[in-house]
Amino acid sequence: MTHITDAVLVIILLSVLLSLGSNRLKALVEIMALQGIMVSLVPLLLEYKAEVHHGGIIFFQIMILIKGVLIPWLLYMAVQRIAIKREVEPIIGYHASLLAGLVVIFVSTIVTQKLHLTLAAGRELLLITAITTLAAGLFLMMSRRKAITQVIGYLMLENGIYLTGTALTKQSHTLYVVEFGVLLDLLVGVMIMGIILHNIKDAFDDVDTTFLGSLKD
Amino acid sequence: MESMLSFLLATLAAPLFPGIILKVKAFFAGKKGPPLLIKYYTLAKLLRKGSVYSTSTSFVFKMGPTVSFATALMALLFFPLAGVKPVFFFHGDVIVLFYIMGIGRFFTILAALDTASPFEGMGAAREAFFSTLAEATVFMVLILFYRMNGSLSFTDYFQSQNPITLMSPNGSLLLFVVVSMFMILLTENSRVPVDDPATHLELTMIHEVMILDHSGPDLALIELGAFYKLFFYAAFISHLLIPAKFAGGAAGGAVFVGTLAMIYVAIGVTESITARFKMNLVPKYILTSFALVTFAAILTTMGLV
Amino acid sequence: MIEYVFILPVLGGLMALFLPTTLGRGLLIITAFLHLQLTVLGWLGKLTPAFINFFKVTPEGMLVLLVTSFIFALISIYAVAYVSETGLKNEPVFICCMLLFLGTMSMVALSDHPIVLWISIEATTLVSAPLIFIKRSKEALEATWKYVMICSVGIALALLGCFFITLSMDIGNVDVPLSFSSLNQVAKQLDPLWLKAGFVFVIIGFGTKMGLAPMHTWLPDAHSQAPSAVSALLSGALLNCAFLGIYKVHALMNVAGLGAFSSNVLIGFGLFSVLVAGIFILNQPDYKRMLAYSSIENMGVIAFGVGVGGIAGYGAILHLIHHSLLKSSLFLSSGNILLGFGTKLVPKVGNMVKLFPKTFVSFFAGFAGISGFPPFGIFISEILIIIGAFQAGRYVSVGVLIFGLILVFAGAARIVMDISFGETSQEVLIKEKFFRIMPSFVLLLTSIGLCIWIPDGIYQKILHTIQIIGGGIHG
Repeated sequence: MTHITDAVLVIILLSVLLSLGSNRLKALVEIMALQGIMVSLVPLLLEYKAEVHHGGIIFFQIMILIKGVLIPWLLYMAVQRIAIKREVEPIIGYHASLLAGLVVIFVSTIVTQKLHLTLAAGRELLLITAITTLAAGLFLMMSRRKAITQVIGYLMLENGIYLTGTALTKQSHTLYVVEFGVLLDLLVGVMIMGIILHNIKDAFDDVDTTFLGSLKD
Repeated sequence: MESMLSFLLATLAAPLFPGIILKVKAFFAGKKGPPLLIKYYTLAKLLRKGSVYSTSTSFVFKMGPTVSFATALMALLFFPLAGVKPVFFFHGDVIVLFYIMGIGRFFTILAALDTASPFEGMGAAREAFFSTLAEATVFMVLILFYRMNGSLSFTDYFQSQNPITLMSPNGSLLLFVVVSMFMILLTENSRVPVDDPATHLELTMIHEVMILDHSGPDLALIELGAFYKLFFYAAFISHLLIPAKFAGGAAGGAVFVGTLAMIYVAIGVTESITARFKMNLVPKYILTSFALVTFAAILTTMGLV
Repeated sequence: MIEYVFILPVLGGLMALFLPTTLGRGLLIITAFLHLQLTVLGWLGKLTPAFINFFKVTPEGMLVLLVTSFIFALISIYAVAYVSETGLKNEPVFICCMLLFLGTMSMVALSDHPIVLWISIEATTLVSAPLIFIKRSKEALEATWKYVMICSVGIALALLGCFFITLSMDIGNVDVPLSFSSLNQVAKQLDPLWLKAGFVFVIIGFGTKMGLAPMHTWLPDAHSQAPSAVSALLSGALLNCAFLGIYKVHALMNVAGLGAFSSNVLIGFGLFSVLVAGIFILNQPDYKRMLAYSSIENMGVIAFGVGVGGIAGYGAILHLIHHSLLKSSLFLSSGNILLGFGTKLVPKVGNMVKLFPKTFVSFFAGFAGISGFPPFGIFISEILIIIGAFQAGRYVSVGVLIFGLILVFAGAARIVMDISFGETSQEVLIKEKFFRIMPSFVLLLTSIGLCIWIPDGIYQKILHTIQIIGGGIHG
């Protein structure tokens, strides 16, 4: 029997790689929606044997709703309204990005192996996925020109951190209230970024971050 | 005996499945679509005609269709279908097989070049380039399978004690392989989004432009070879999807054919909802498939999964 | 229930969205002073937390809370005078975000749970972003974008650090509620490797927010583009809050016996920040950016002092208080200069001594104070930090620190002299007004006052604060 958790993690990794190679903003947003849903499923799958509180179940539902539906919808609206050119416009090309993705997963595998002893059993793939998602998110932020792709990169980074959290810690420490707070912060953050994006579009007629370079020493 | 029977069935049934793709595409376009058996009719029509050869071509041009058809047929000889052992198998047959298919492609390209038409030369160059890239993915898959299974034969992959399927203990990694093999299937068989088999403009063609000058029975052979190749890749993926316990027997056969049909439907859906790439984005697409498999290979090589 | 300290401003802020502007201004000032009252009540020990899992009254938190509340009360007066004169668009949003900003910063000061701390620090970023953008210029837009993106990413890394700290509990088989106070009691059992990793990520994350080099790049942009009242808050209050996050983890490291590691990291970041600030301040054409770099320098000094420990720890906390007072005063004065001349460029402004005598006094005094001249508090705090570093035998580091301080002084002195006594052809746009001058003077006088006489309550709180990192007034 295949472990469903593993399958979900592999899908997350897939989404990471596809996002590095994707050249259309809409496709990128769709990939992020998939990733958001999968990421929110992971803790549920890890805990399915343990007692999950009612609060927990409701929390996970809200999380799927926010990460998988609400935030992608916000991004989608932003793409619709803001981007005249629907291409991603990379600073570092797609091929190099894909190779960078390979390097990232290679490094994260090595890192995970080094930490092998201090991990709960069966969480290796989870940690690899988490580190890869995190690093790829950072990479995406740096290597794409459009402001909206930076937001997407930030989301991916956040997904990676969330996965690291679930990979490494017991759920009992982080009460759901706390996780809910983190989620809320994320949501508000994306909304504020969206508003700024809109203003960037109004001010510069584009969402290219190269316009944002006038303040310097 | 059983092997020969399944092989024969496969050769006979292969032209049926592309009809499914056409049906799906027609459904998405809101049309009725051609009958399922359309490809048989086309083949019969082509076989009844005579071939026309340009005076500027040599024997190479005539060899092209025959060799490409023969190699595609050989691929099916080595491939286990629905839990039945293939007609031939030996350790290392996968490598031979992929190179035999390479020979087929080589002769198709030669034949195209032989016409000295600029269009066909262009198509040949593209075909050579893209399939070179795709080969990287295919061999990465083989490396991965070797790590997982320790053998180099299709029979061992799918019918040994430790078969490679999505349902095996570390099978979730094969999701990568399934996705990337599907991408390779689309590339190698000139489907959307890499190539459009139904396009009308020679400039944008890859595969179709190479065979512009073939006619009659020659064209029929090429088409039939293409069906076999598509069938081979689709069967490859369906083996990955089917749990080992379903192999063999009538039930196994039914599951196999069902999965196969699903893959063809998937191709049809992909063709209906995606547009083809600009030519300069195709390498990125193929490289993505390579990266996916390499992901899986790294994960298994590290012995973590 | 001490949670009222942040609930009150948040409610006030949400209310301000629906009020007409004049009422909103009143609400801002009233809430600010009510907040000060609540803070004082908290200091007197009349209020206790209701959600003990998440919040706690800690000496370091109370210090930061008091400073924040005090300067916010004064800044609110300035802000009201400022908006009534300049006529800001979106005034309800401005008032709302100011109050929310106060609320989230108070929440930082009170939080005891690492992730609640994280949530509130991230929340400060989010509610202060509209404040930076309030002028709606292209530059403000750019500054806001950088602020939000860089700080969000930085703080996201801090979240990772918090998770690592949680992991160190699991590996050490410690089962206590996740909060700094309970972790401090079992610190020895935590897994040292993961704790170290956690500290590194936390200092990178919260260090971004605190403005430690090389993660400081957002700070000069944001501080120079925001309206001056907001800059004063960002510099005087927000940076302290981020520091609080680092400090709490540093304290945990000390209790866990890893103090040497975290001290060295802090000293390294501190020195680097001082140097970077010194280099960038030398040829700075923009006086608000100059002040921003000076903030980076002072945060570096604080990090250095805390890292050195001992009497320097005392100096660092003192430095934190006085820097907040002086720097917010300076930003408020610079706001007056900006209103008066309409430009932030040093070459275009000048002759302040004739045109704006009162602002000149406050700006110049503030500059003297921030550069470490008596009778202002930074004189004492820097001397204590330097003595502490000598006592700890960190001769090289202290040499670098002094070099950096001289660089900053040299760069800043040129600018201040230019503004004060240089020639200008610029016309005076808006004259100085009492309510825009008074807050700066009160802040300056407070710094002088605290230098001469520290109330015993504050003195004890500082000692309690630094006790945990092995600091004390006797070295």
